[in-house]
Amino acid sequence: MGIGDIWNLIAMQPMINTLIVLTHYLFNSFGLAIIVLTIIVNGVMFPLTLKQIRASKSMQDLQPKIAELRKKYPKDKEKLAKEQMRLFKESGVSPAGCLLPLLIQMPIWIALFQSVMRVLAVIPENLVGLSQYLYSWPVVFFTLPLNNEFLWLNLAVGDMFLALLVGGTMWVQQKMIMTPTADPKQQAQSSIMLWMMPIMFAFLTLSFPSGLALFWVASNVIRISIQYSVGGWGGLVKTAAKRQTGRDEKYKQRIAEVEKTSEGADVVVPSSTQEEGLSYEESGGERQDRGGGYPKSLRATRRHPRRGGGHRRKGG
Amino acid sequence: MRIRNKVVSAGKICLLVILLLVGLIVLGCLGIKTAPEGGSGGTIADGTIFLCPALEQAAGFGCAAPAVEGKLVAVDISDGSRLWEAPLEASTPAGGGFGCAPSATPVAIYGNPVVAGDLVYVGGYNGKIYAINTSSGALRWVYPREGSLEPIVSGVVVALDRLYFGCSDGKVYALDTDTGDKQWEFSTGDKIWATPVIDGETLYIGSFDKKLYALSAVDGSKKWEFETEGAIASVPLVYNNTVYIGSFDRYFYAVGAADGKMKWEFLAEKWFWTRPVACNNTIYVGCFDGRVYILDAESGDEVVDAIDLGSPIYSWPVLVEDKVIVATEEGEIYAIDTANNQAELLADLAEAIYAPLCISDGVIYIYSLEQNLYALNAESGARLWSQTIE
Repeated sequence: MGIGDIWNLIAMQPMINTLIVLTHYLFNSFGLAIIVLTIIVNGVMFPLTLKQIRASKSMQDLQPKIAELRKKYPKDKEKLAKEQMRLFKESGVSPAGCLLPLLIQMPIWIALFQSVMRVLAVIPENLVGLSQYLYSWPVVFFTLPLNNEFLWLNLAVGDMFLALLVGGTMWVQQKMIMTPTADPKQQAQSSIMLWMMPIMFAFLTLSFPSGLALFWVASNVIRISIQYSVGGWGGLVKTAAKRQTGRDEKYKQRIAEVEKTSEGADVVVPSSTQEEGLSYEESGGERQDRGGGYPKSLRATRRHPRRGGGHRRKGG
Repeated sequence: MRIRNKVVSAGKICLLVILLLVGLIVLGCLGIKTAPEGGSGGTIADGTIFLCPALEQAAGFGCAAPAVEGKLVAVDISDGSRLWEAPLEASTPAGGGFGCAPSATPVAIYGNPVVAGDLVYVGGYNGKIYAINTSSGALRWVYPREGSLEPIVSGVVVALDRLYFGCSDGKVYALDTDTGDKQWEFSTGDKIWATPVIDGETLYIGSFDKKLYALSAVDGSKKWEFETEGAIASVPLVYNNTVYIGSFDRYFYAVGAADGKMKWEFLAEKWFWTRPVACNNTIYVGCFDGRVYILDAESGDEVVDAIDLGSPIYSWPVLVEDKVIVATEEGEIYAIDTANNQAELLADLAEAIYAPLCISDGVIYIYSLEQNLYALNAESGARLWSQTIE
């Protein structure tokens, strides 16, 4: 028995037959079967996926410390490597921790990928070839050949919308696992990961049957869900936070201007409290943000969020 | 080894892994064909064998650029020399393709050409039927004249001055053999890949909707239908007022030709795709399980135990006097003696065979997937000649 036969026996045949049986029980919808099988396979691999995501996250968390080490030992590569290894060891992080689960999962993904392609049996050659993978289950024989229609899709041909969806979900997934870095080299790598991969996959998707694209989209959505449950929105939210920080900087500048111009003058009081005849302190208002950091003297200028922003100064 | 070599940045590792993943996806996809290749069997008339070579596909996977032009080739059966070849041009691309998606439908031909009068007819995967002059290779007519149908995998048959074929759009079409004008059409519930058979004024054809249909060959009206539990891609055999047909449900059925009532059924291990042959009230049918089943035509009982030929049987067998000649996928050619139902290995071509066999004057003509046409003596299996037809 060759490697090909073993591969067929332990990977291809189970997946192909499961796909066909699922199609039978899911209203003869091959599209639904692809989605459900993707969920099942992800469920089976969940512990590995979790391990990989956590390992990646730990590795990302160490990036600032690694950056520090790089600054500390810019020329002594050997020392840097030694210190990095020590850091990994002390933190209980293995550089291969994110790699190993991925390598284990890879054959399963390839088997799933190949199974979808084979079961689609777009052309006569494929349908003839499919026969060698079938179990002797009556349901398998009754169900074939499968109906390739799902929603607006012909699962046997490429679809533009699904290609965009593949690219989009892949971008979101990449963005979630990214950590902002000051290192230009890492930034370049991150950019490649963030843009090149989604574009490449979206482009490839156009050339493949959309059944395969459906599998990619389902996989990406599941991965996004798992990543969200482990580490929240990750890089996606950090981007938003960064924008917020930018606004805060402006805000601080404006406050500083206010403070400068109104030195010794009236304290800025929110209009609402003015109207109600209450001071901010009396109104029992609390800071909505927990990040803190504003000087106490400025707290009087801090208002509850208000549409349109801006401040009104008392008097003039 | 220095420690710095051991430490590789996580980003680089991940990038490598992703590139590896993409590479493996690409490799994983290799071996799965995405474009039709076709390759018909031969049809012999007036010392000429007509066949359509399989298309050669460009390397690759999703981005494979399929050949967009097929051909009909006329070969002299005495020595395998090529008489002429007629290009079968692809239909105009329907909308542009994105990226590296193919933008035109390749003219892969699966069904055997059929000769009637001075024309040879052939149906293409590009959804067109071609009528070509047998002596010059000049195109007489094409159907439809504008646009194209869904892919045609079915072979064509000619009878009653009409040409009949099934189409992937689920319809059976009847065309005027002289002009190519449509006479009638009949809709089934799913794709048709099976070649029809005409017996008298009745046309029998199987569909992916799991039904065998008996239609009036004159006007296309339905006489009866017989439902199986699997799709039908095989060609029926009409013998002694009974229609014999195999299905994807692994059953081989005998159905009354007049009323469509089932007489018996026989369960095999895998699908039936090939056409059965009959001799001395016995049915010989090859199966994807690599066996030839030898059944009593009346009762469906096995006359003898099935003959295991070791690899799937896709190609249509032929009957030569008292021998059934069967080709396996692996290229072994067997002769089953109908007197004692013993199989004898005639030849081992060691090339995949999917195309139907054809016979003329004691010579078997076999077209392999490697695009070689072989002429073998039906008695001894000796190779008379072989030619690459591509």
